[in-house]
Amino acid sequence: MTARDDILARVAAAATHRASHPGGHTPATLETGFDRFASRLRGVGGEAHGPVPAWSAGEAASRVVALRADGGSIFAAESAADLLGPGPWVVPPAELAPIAFEDVAVALMLGTVAVAENAAVALLGREAPQRAMPFLCRHLILLVPANSIVPDQHAAQAALPADAFAHHHLTWISGPSKTADIEQTLVYGAHGPLTLDVIAYGEVA
Amino acid sequence: MEVGLFIPCYVEQLSPEVGLATARLLEVAGCTVHYDPQQTCCGQPFLNMGATASGAKLARRHLQLFERYETVVCPSGSCTATVRHRYPELGVGEEPAGRALRARTFELSEFLVNQLSRSHFGSEFPHRVALLQSCHGLRDLGLGSGSEQVHGRRSSPAEELLLAVRGLTFVPTARDECCGFGGTFAVKFPEVSARMGRARLREWAEAGAEYVTGTDVSCLLHLDGLRRKEGFGPEPIHLAELLATGDVA
Amino acid sequence: MTQALELAARRTLPDEGAVTRHDGAVFDLRRRRDLAAAEVPDWEALRERAAALKTHTLDHLDTYLERFEARATEAGAVVHWAEDAADLRRIATELLRAHKVERVAKSKSMLTEECGLNAHLESQGIHVVDTDLGERIVQLQGEPPSHIIVPAIHRSRAEIGALFHERMGTPRGETDPEKLTRAARRDLRSRFLSAQAGITGVNFAVAETGSIVVCTNEGNADLGMSIPRLHVACMGLEKLVPRMEDLPVFLRLLARSATGQPITAYTSVVTGPREGAELHIIVVDNGRSALLADPGHRSALGCIRCGACLNTCPVYRRAGGHAYEGPIPGPIGAVLAPALHPAGAALPHASSLCGSCTAVCPVRIDLHDQLLAWRRELPRPRGEALLGWLAALVLRSPSLYRLAGRLGRLSWPILGVRFPGNPAASWLRGRKLPRHPGASFASRWARRGQGTGP
Repeated sequence: MTARDDILARVAAAATHRASHPGGHTPATLETGFDRFASRLRGVGGEAHGPVPAWSAGEAASRVVALRADGGSIFAAESAADLLGPGPWVVPPAELAPIAFEDVAVALMLGTVAVAENAAVALLGREAPQRAMPFLCRHLILLVPANSIVPDQHAAQAALPADAFAHHHLTWISGPSKTADIEQTLVYGAHGPLTLDVIAYGEVA
Repeated sequence: MEVGLFIPCYVEQLSPEVGLATARLLEVAGCTVHYDPQQTCCGQPFLNMGATASGAKLARRHLQLFERYETVVCPSGSCTATVRHRYPELGVGEEPAGRALRARTFELSEFLVNQLSRSHFGSEFPHRVALLQSCHGLRDLGLGSGSEQVHGRRSSPAEELLLAVRGLTFVPTARDECCGFGGTFAVKFPEVSARMGRARLREWAEAGAEYVTGTDVSCLLHLDGLRRKEGFGPEPIHLAELLATGDVA
Repeated sequence: MTQALELAARRTLPDEGAVTRHDGAVFDLRRRRDLAAAEVPDWEALRERAAALKTHTLDHLDTYLERFEARATEAGAVVHWAEDAADLRRIATELLRAHKVERVAKSKSMLTEECGLNAHLESQGIHVVDTDLGERIVQLQGEPPSHIIVPAIHRSRAEIGALFHERMGTPRGETDPEKLTRAARRDLRSRFLSAQAGITGVNFAVAETGSIVVCTNEGNADLGMSIPRLHVACMGLEKLVPRMEDLPVFLRLLARSATGQPITAYTSVVTGPREGAELHIIVVDNGRSALLADPGHRSALGCIRCGACLNTCPVYRRAGGHAYEGPIPGPIGAVLAPALHPAGAALPHASSLCGSCTAVCPVRIDLHDQLLAWRRELPRPRGEALLGWLAALVLRSPSLYRLAGRLGRLSWPILGVRFPGNPAASWLRGRKLPRHPGASFASRWARRGQGTGP
């Protein structure tokens, strides 16, 4: 027998098959909406902007880019560039090796769902074909539809599109990269982005 | 009410005053107090050490001795918790009579406040006093809530009793953790135990407490030993002794 | 016999200053957890749901493991099975060798600590860089982590500054956490970019989709998963949750319990490899199936490694993580030790049984009851058993009990001084003997007159 069969046989012998699945959790009603999301995001070291009409998302993004740009490339993922229109950003070539993102100052990408209780924004694999970009850039800007803000993580999970797990990864991003490993002192930008901006655009739900 | 006095071994041998103060309080509260000198130890140290066989023998002996009382009251949260909640781990006290006796065994402060609905005794103690909520009373008996319990907090009968004492200034502290006694833990891990106790003494001292009171003699003896060695910290006094003052004296 | 943890605690936190600093830093996490938990009105219901989900999953673990394997494979991952630590080390080494890997970027994984993966890979000529800042600090220091969430919490900024000066060339005397973190970021960035494989742990594995979930605050695991073309994920077989819908229950509890954050900065759900890359998932048993077969102790397999029980534990905070001398310190470490690491069989005694761990555990593991259960089951040292038997004999006889008390009070002046063989020696370390009680309660009661009314 292989290790797999041995292990599974032992687990099967030990599993009692008693307790049934407790079902879904119904969360308490929590505050939601852009303001709640924005204050949560401030709490985790990020900054929220908007909500702005979809037609002016490009203008809003340009303003935030100007705040953050500190030398180096400004890249927008293709779907983000489609929303934003022309600006100081370029769409990186698809075949770029991860190492090419080393000197990205600002990256702009589309988020899908935003969570008011924890300031997380879902970044789907399909919006991030360049997997390394949001983690190597110095400043990350995520654009989320204002009507995609939900109160809690349960609702966020339910609001994900059907193909959310079809593209290798989905990352919930809540604020910039951080560490408190030296005497519990909070420092932003341990490895990834030093700053995170979220721009909410379009109609509010 | 007829009350059987449950005197823990360390009260019997090391702090007789606490037992006397307990009896005095119960009498002031209108109870008739009985003490059976045949009692020894409820078995807690053996349960704590994992010595099930010895613990079970003492537990069965304890239940037999106290069966005849309408109510049993004990000036110790941890001994009460042992009888009420832990005997089944020794395989003892699960029969109807055992269950009933365990359910009518009370720690002193909960008996006075929750059973007799009485917190004013006319006690007088004009000092700054901190409260040590011993762990087993706190979490096993629910005599208050640990600070980690952020939802559904319970009130503390000991605190309620203290707030009714004339002249007493209650000294609250941010921390409420274990003092480091922990039964055999105190002698198996003496330095770690002492570090825990010294931290509590420091916090109370910094808050200006002159006394620290509590429901468990064992924790207070540990703190007193530390305090006299270190030369700082509030003086420990059992809640029963603190309450047996003023009109109760 | 003095316990190992007691001796180690005197070494690892050698003076009251070190104890107080460690205690304060760790308790700060507990305080943040309290604030975060207070903000969630359904906190207790969430804990209950998480516990029920874990119980259900463990009860049906065979079904969920097979489902996970099938779905992960469909998604393009390769699933490996490791019987024990040696098996994990062998599989990982073979994978890395087959890909001609010389440099690995590794993110935090308590499982690989448990299995001694780093040291083994180094001995095989594969260079491993720990990329979590705290892990990096202890790696450079040449010591194990002392906490499962904040591995270098036992080190002061001065110590870390000196270490970075020596190993990374930061200016002498630089102790500013922000500057030190920036130096580590620069140093590790180049190592990420040249790594040929990323090794990560797994926080959760979703049976329904074959996904693994990796949570970090630094984003280091994501870099390890997105730069090299090989990702090796190591998971204990207990990490499963049945459905994607169950995941939010745990995500809402994990970071709040750990550090008081509402969620970790990065929570990545990875389903299959990214284009042009490989994903290998190593499922490790290493004693877990045996623990599953033990109904009295299997609840410990529900642990999600949040560290809340460490942070609240007054013993952990005063002893330091290294004093536990195993991969996982604190209450959960002491509960797992007898099952997973025979050397840790004495750890269940290293607790005052205050119960705060049980009260904070987000999946409601009965931690302090588990410690007590182990004390009942593990063999007791001969001397202690003999003393206990003798004490129980005395306590079953009221006359012997009274006699023992009288002898004790008579020998009070002797017991208070230090001499070899003093039975009170342990008590006297740090403490004085209680004041002489005068007489027993029984004799005082007899003098008082019986049944006096008010």
